[in-house]
Amino acid sequence: MKRLYSVLVIGIAASLMLAACGGGGASKADNLLDAIKERGYILVSTDPNYEPQSFLNTAGTRASGTKCPSDTLTTAEMQGFDVDVAKAIGDSLAVETCFATPSWDAITAGSWADKWDVSVGSMTITPARQAILDFSVPYYYTPAVVAVRADSGFASLEDLEGESLCAGAATTYESWLNHDMEALGLPDSSVYAQAPNVTVVALETDQECAQAIAAGREDFVGYVTSETVVDANIAAGFPVVKLGSPVYSEDLAASFDKSSTLPTDTLRAEVDNLFKAMHNDGRLTAISDQWFGADLTQAPK
Amino acid sequence: MAESTIARDTAEQVAKGNLLYETQQRQARHFRANVALSWGILLLILLFLFSGQSFLGIKTIQLDYEFIRSNMAFIGRGINDTLLVSVLSIILAMILALLAALGRLSTIPPVYALSTFYVSLIRGTPLYLQIFFFFLALPQLGIILSGLWAGVLALGLNYGAYMSEIFRAGLSSVGKGQREAAMALGMTPSQTMKRIVLPQALRFAIPPIGNDFIAMTKDSALVAATGFVHEIMWNAVKVGRAQFRSLEALIMAAIFYWMMTLILSYLQSKIETRLSRGDR
Repeated sequence: MKRLYSVLVIGIAASLMLAACGGGGASKADNLLDAIKERGYILVSTDPNYEPQSFLNTAGTRASGTKCPSDTLTTAEMQGFDVDVAKAIGDSLAVETCFATPSWDAITAGSWADKWDVSVGSMTITPARQAILDFSVPYYYTPAVVAVRADSGFASLEDLEGESLCAGAATTYESWLNHDMEALGLPDSSVYAQAPNVTVVALETDQECAQAIAAGREDFVGYVTSETVVDANIAAGFPVVKLGSPVYSEDLAASFDKSSTLPTDTLRAEVDNLFKAMHNDGRLTAISDQWFGADLTQAPK
Repeated sequence: MAESTIARDTAEQVAKGNLLYETQQRQARHFRANVALSWGILLLILLFLFSGQSFLGIKTIQLDYEFIRSNMAFIGRGINDTLLVSVLSIILAMILALLAALGRLSTIPPVYALSTFYVSLIRGTPLYLQIFFFFLALPQLGIILSGLWAGVLALGLNYGAYMSEIFRAGLSSVGKGQREAAMALGMTPSQTMKRIVLPQALRFAIPPIGNDFIAMTKDSALVAATGFVHEIMWNAVKVGRAQFRSLEALIMAAIFYWMMTLILSYLQSKIETRLSRGDR
């Protein structure tokens, strides 16, 4: 019994100690940029659900001697367009880049509780998000398209009137389908078409929409997502086709938490300058060509 | 004369007894062999269902085996975190369950109330919700737990509430006569609890705890929802989604969970056999 008690006591003590460590150490820095330079790594959140934007490198192994916290991933374990852009931020600050992988709705909901510094996850700038997050200048632009089952015979958006369409929950695609132009918040020049009146099915991510169709489910006839995702779906052999031309174009940017304990303004300025420089010297174009096979970094006219 | 008859009768009886015993043994062996054979057949049918072949007009499920081969090792790496979360959570759950069970037996109203309130609140809400609660609500109090510890806290609290019933049953299984005997020997109530009741109650509680631990290894998959614990389920969902092979990825996760459960069930049956040796 004595031994059992000591095991229990050690268990409790260990739990409390480790829990206390989760709080993070005190820092002398008075803004986020200095805090990042002081600790030697920047913690970037991204959602590794999307190839080629952001996905796991399953063959990669964690570098020894990495500064990244144990529940985050290192650059060796991640890959994609967003990941390369995030790496460029880390490199320009001369710190290591680490990736936190919270769910997408936890990122767009704001109030990050200082769990990560910046989100580089192809996030569309919208007014609703601007109320809780600060955005950098856009680093690329993706067209949103409607995709339908290849054998469905639909030829235009009007044909979809009264049907069901799928979109990822809390995405701009869902807002567009719901005719919620305020939440979408794009300038009129970026919106090319109005959504047909359809029943909206919101699944956890866009990827469930495509897979549901490929699996033979008939809950909806198609889905709305970025053209890059549909291209990847088609490349994977999914029985879907793009319906007409893009319906709107999104400005995608890095985002920062307005409720961050340390001010993010200096970090934001650094990232803005970096993105502008990368737009000018063609570095962003090169990364885009590498992952998308096309230059998506030019603003739509 | 009479003596030799008795001796012959006894020898015959022994022979009969041995025969009966052997027959029973043989039947038991047959039974086990047939069960094993049937398991093998069921397993083959299950494998056939995922072969992608069609046989006598029966359609089967087509999987991308190339994807499975190249991602098996990666998803399997999640076992470490699954076991880590489960072990930490079961330790916390045991502590809480014991405290809640003792509180439930307490005659002090606030202590009794605290125990029943905890069990009622936790059993009355979904585990999935509790995991998000600790992840999202605690930062407002300035307590920022990592995804791992938020998950362990939620799982531990949840299982602690359910397991308190196991400990309560264990504590009440110790006869009243033993407590009275301890009192007669001059032991204080806390001495009686520590020396007489708890050792017996814990032995009673170990098999159901093993059972709950097996259940917990699977419920730990819910911790993946916060995105910070890279256990089997998280690994499977992420590689599955990014490469549009969710079905394959989830089936791989299912295999790993099943294997873990098979091993843990075997260990549990060993522990139970060991414990039952004490019963006479």
